[in-house]
Amino acid sequence: MIAALSGAFDDISKAIRLHRVWIALAHEDIGDQHRRTTLGPLWMLVNYFAFVGTFVFVFVTKDAINPSYIAYVAIGMLVWFYLNETISVSVSLFQREASFIQGTTLPLFVYVMRLTMQCVIRAAYSMAGCVLILLLSGYGTNMNWLFSVPGLLLIILATPAFVVVFAFLGAFFPDSEFIVGNMMRVGMFFTPVFWVYSGQEGVQKYAYHWNPFTYFLESVREPITAGTFPMHALAVTGYFCLGLWALALLLLGLYRKRIVFLI
Amino acid sequence: MTAIKLNNVSLVYRLFEKLTLSAPGRRRSALGGNIASSGTKQVVQALDDVSFELKAGDRLGLVGPNGSGKTTLLKVLYGIYQPSAGTISIAGKVDALFNISIGFRPEATGRRNIVLRGLISGWTAAEIEEKMEEIIDFSELGDFIDLPFKAYSQGMAARLAFAAATALEPEILLMDEWIGAGDASFQEKAKRRMDELAEKAGIIVLASHDDTLIQRVCTKRMVLKNGRVESLT
Ligand SMILES: Nc1ncnc2c1ncn2[C@@H]1O[C@H](COP(=O)(O)OP(=O)(O)O)[C@@H](O)[C@H]1O
Ligand SMILES: [Mg+2]
Repeated sequence: MIAALSGAFDDISKAIRLHRVWIALAHEDIGDQHRRTTLGPLWMLVNYFAFVGTFVFVFVTKDAINPSYIAYVAIGMLVWFYLNETISVSVSLFQREASFIQGTTLPLFVYVMRLTMQCVIRAAYSMAGCVLILLLSGYGTNMNWLFSVPGLLLIILATPAFVVVFAFLGAFFPDSEFIVGNMMRVGMFFTPVFWVYSGQEGVQKYAYHWNPFTYFLESVREPITAGTFPMHALAVTGYFCLGLWALALLLLGLYRKRIVFLI
Repeated sequence: MTAIKLNNVSLVYRLFEKLTLSAPGRRRSALGGNIASSGTKQVVQALDDVSFELKAGDRLGLVGPNGSGKTTLLKVLYGIYQPSAGTISIAGKVDALFNISIGFRPEATGRRNIVLRGLISGWTAAEIEEKMEEIIDFSELGDFIDLPFKAYSQGMAARLAFAAATALEPEILLMDEWIGAGDASFQEKAKRRMDELAEKAGIIVLASHDDTLIQRVCTKRMVLKNGRVESLT
């Protein structure tokens, strides 16, 4: 146990010393994905804007026309898409990096941070799209928005742990790539991304209270839609992150040397 | 002091057998490698009780048929694989050349790839800056250095890979078979550089099927067969 943790911290500290590697590689990745396109990475802003814009401006009914619902959906989708994308691409992380893992001695956490960095850069573009929608919908800005910052930081902090857990899952159980893909697709409907929970009984109640993603979403969204500091959501998210990190460290410590034989 | 020491090193690859309905007819392979099964898993014993010692200035040539464990041994020395049994101790800064394209991004230019390769090997920005021109000179790529890596021929890629791997004068250099990719004049240059490296009390381990290359470059020769050391002279 102690040995596992010290192994994990060794891997992480080596990776942090090599921070220039994953920063450079993440930039190359983003560049490669958009090479030869005219808009380049701005496509990510366009994608988000088109999707959420379509949703809010086409599906709005009379009660949903109010700007606070638009903000609700826009922020919900921002956070949901971020977590969804991170988890979905994490499952195949080690398979995708196979040639590096089998050819260099870089610590595994370098690949984790490379993906984290990539996801954060993409999310920054989506976030620009989100702010644009908030402004266009006539939703005024105010100081309460700052209460969202701790939630955003917590999500970024949780990202490497999500990546580690799902990357190991994908390496040990290749079937999980498809299972996780399906679950995330269905998960959107079980998470209050575009539906509002207002005390109903039944499935929605459980989906609201027992879904960890609810709290990730609410800790960013509540300050903007309700103007309050999201104490409860932050607390739950915080505990969830601690648990996730503990699991991630354990996996990294125990199994990092096995990965090269599995991919 | 630069040194390598292996004691009874073994390495086993475990393969997960896919479910299949066809009969498991087995044929003996004339090549190296031992397949065995343990339970539902197949295992390949790639290295079997390998022990040897190298000291500063040694240049070891690894020979043996395909599948005899040369690449596996190099990867164990580099630290990519942890041996299944046995101990290994290495003193010295190691660099390795396995596959020409490892660590190179096809879309990035040669110059950018040198930077990335340097970062991956843990060089500082100053070291990369300092070695850049020398690497470009040694590789003789000229203006091609600013073209994407995917536009390089095999031999050009080999020149760049070799120049980059040897630029920072690793104390231990591991090389897999492909080194024969360059043309004659490059081979000559590469040999000179390997000589320099060995004279600076470095260690070179080179796997190759090219006996003349091994004779030209190496001072010791180890024959692997089925993952075992057959002879070391
Ligand atoms: N990733 C792997 N998974 C399973 N078996 C492998 C793997 N890599 C190599 N082997 C097996 O290990 C043995 C040694 O391979 P290798 O070291 O590549 O030989 P060489 O480089 O001498 O041709 C072979 O029998 C090969 O089939
Ligand atoms: Mg080989």
